[in-house]
Amino acid sequence: MVNKDLIPKYWYNIIPDLPKPLPPPRDPPDAEFSRIELLKKILPREVLRQQFTIERFIKIPEEVRDRYAIIGRPTPLMRAKRLEEYLDTPAKIYFKFEGATPTGSHKINTAIPQAYFAAEEGISHVVTETGAGQWGTAVALAASMYDLSSTIFMVRVSYEQKPMRKTIMELYGGKVYASPTDLTEFGRKILKENPNHPGSLGIAMSEAIEFALNHNFRYLVGSVLDVVLLHQSVIGMEAIAQLDELGEEPDILIGCVGGGSNFGGFTYPFIGAKKGKKYIAVGAAEIPKFSTGKYEYDYPDTAGLLPLVKMITLGKDYVPPPIYAGGLRYHGVAPTLSLLIKEKIVEWREYKEEEIYEAAKIFMKTQGIVPAPESAHAIKAVIDEALKAKTEKERRVIVFNLSGHGLLDLGNYESIRRRVEK
Amino acid sequence: MKRMLVTYMTLGYPNLESFYQFIEKSVELGTDILEIGLPPKYAKYDGPVIRKSYKAVTSWLKDYITPLKEVRKKVNIPIIILTYLEDYLSNLDNFLTTLHEIGIDGVLFPDLLIDFIDEYEEYVSKIKGKGVKTVLFTGPSLPDNLIIKASRISDIFLYYGVRPTTGIIIPVSVDSLITRVRNLVQNKLVVGFGLNDFNDLRKALSAGADGVAIGTAFIEEIEKNGIQSALQLVKTIRGILDEYS
Ligand SMILES: Cc1ncc(COP(=O)(O)O)c(C=O)c1O
Repeated sequence: MVNKDLIPKYWYNIIPDLPKPLPPPRDPPDAEFSRIELLKKILPREVLRQQFTIERFIKIPEEVRDRYAIIGRPTPLMRAKRLEEYLDTPAKIYFKFEGATPTGSHKINTAIPQAYFAAEEGISHVVTETGAGQWGTAVALAASMYDLSSTIFMVRVSYEQKPMRKTIMELYGGKVYASPTDLTEFGRKILKENPNHPGSLGIAMSEAIEFALNHNFRYLVGSVLDVVLLHQSVIGMEAIAQLDELGEEPDILIGCVGGGSNFGGFTYPFIGAKKGKKYIAVGAAEIPKFSTGKYEYDYPDTAGLLPLVKMITLGKDYVPPPIYAGGLRYHGVAPTLSLLIKEKIVEWREYKEEEIYEAAKIFMKTQGIVPAPESAHAIKAVIDEALKAKTEKERRVIVFNLSGHGLLDLGNYESIRRRVEK
Repeated sequence: MKRMLVTYMTLGYPNLESFYQFIEKSVELGTDILEIGLPPKYAKYDGPVIRKSYKAVTSWLKDYITPLKEVRKKVNIPIIILTYLEDYLSNLDNFLTTLHEIGIDGVLFPDLLIDFIDEYEEYVSKIKGKGVKTVLFTGPSLPDNLIIKASRISDIFLYYGVRPTTGIIIPVSVDSLITRVRNLVQNKLVVGFGLNDFNDLRKALSAGADGVAIGTAFIEEIEKNGIQSALQLVKTIRGILDEYS
């Protein structure tokens, strides 16, 4: 039985506690239309209000806390005892298991409040994009919880590699299209240039936004924007309470980074409360944002329908390598996380596919859970830090966020295995 | 205490004659401080209305000195110049000296604490050193400790923009945003950005704002119904402020 009392009553926003001002979203010079104005037609009103009414703590509506309880929040904080033994490390390793929710990832934490706010506003239909399918699944479930219709633009390569994700989204009542589609002007433009375009999150995002605008539906946003990281703070708030209960003080906190939402949700409450000594954000070497991205104003979506935000980015037109199967393919990093990385409060690492594949196998062998390929990036960093603690003979407490399970990503592991073990 | 009305207008908008008329009359009707916008290369935090007003004047406004001297002659309340620091990096000293000679009271660079955060204190001393007051611009995306610091060194008042861009009425809870910073600000707190809804205006005043800054609403009124109607709006807003004295 889940105890609802353990679900936080507030979401936490780190912006009032950042070391420097967060450069605000803005319109480009000489814009023919205002992206900031357009946000009013794109996002549900209350989502937009939470994006810009920046306060340290925001009350979670009781209705949303009830839904959090239904999907099994608080998620478990588990000790990876067998992994510690396997690595023969003096470090203690804990993980917050976000894969325990029905959709298999943390993404549901923001899909629920966004769908709730949309329904409250009288909206009947929500639209979004998805890469791996985790976000699309979360939106399809959240929409069905509130009797909303949902349309999901899924990046074409993933659509082809992951038919099961499509099945789940459809079982929840979602309608799924492979992006680029011919349903939007932007999709048609991309297809005209290259009919075999594999798609990208940026393109799918633009299509979803355009589709929502054309039909007066609303768009739900899955990562990057502050409001999403605000909602995800339930992960870190719970983790703090769970560690307190165990009497543990964390030293190192680790999470993987696509757009940055599970990382921010997990670590920001710790950073804000000055708990922990080191925070490590892990990305994919194949999508090298941290090592080669620039910190500048860029569009979150490829068509440039959203306002410019200042972030570490590979550029809005970036298309990830098509054969790569490790996830974390988004071209940018959430503005707050970009700032924390620039200020050296958060460290970063990048790992290659074969490295995260080995890490995933070690985790499966020792702990049994199949991790999402995205989360395996975090696991790889955990293993490295645990081995470092061993060399340095330090009894460190390492806590990481296992952002999702990989039961629907077995095709990805199969694809990596074929390439790595040939 | 009397609440402050800070009136913004783009220099020379919609034409010189109407501009002078609006400025002069708005002071008679209860404007406490004038904010005058100099068209920048990139109005980063301005919405379509103010951006359009900049475009409207740049075609013919070649020199800002003469009209500013004229305004200085016409009114004797504090005048603050609003423009982006980015455009003056190479000739800041000259710019400040000119403003000082004209008798302009202060400057407000909206990008100072955002794009020049590492050097802002040097800029503030430099501006003050030239005899020009510095009104600092803050907003909800600034951390609390910086708002505290900025409020201590800001001249005349501290500006707090509650929305990301002028003129666009993004839904925000004005009262919550002001409540968050009211106790941090050790200065007069003037709130702006999209306060053209009387409800929002009242919320700002009830939550403890010492004044409000209004711009887009006046420009829109000039565009739609002319100068007289915009001046009527000045009067109405003055009336609302006075309810809170
Ligand atoms: C399981 C899982 N973890 C992490 C991510 C990365 O996204 P974010 O950085 O926003 O958490 C995704 C994105 O699809 C995901 O599905």
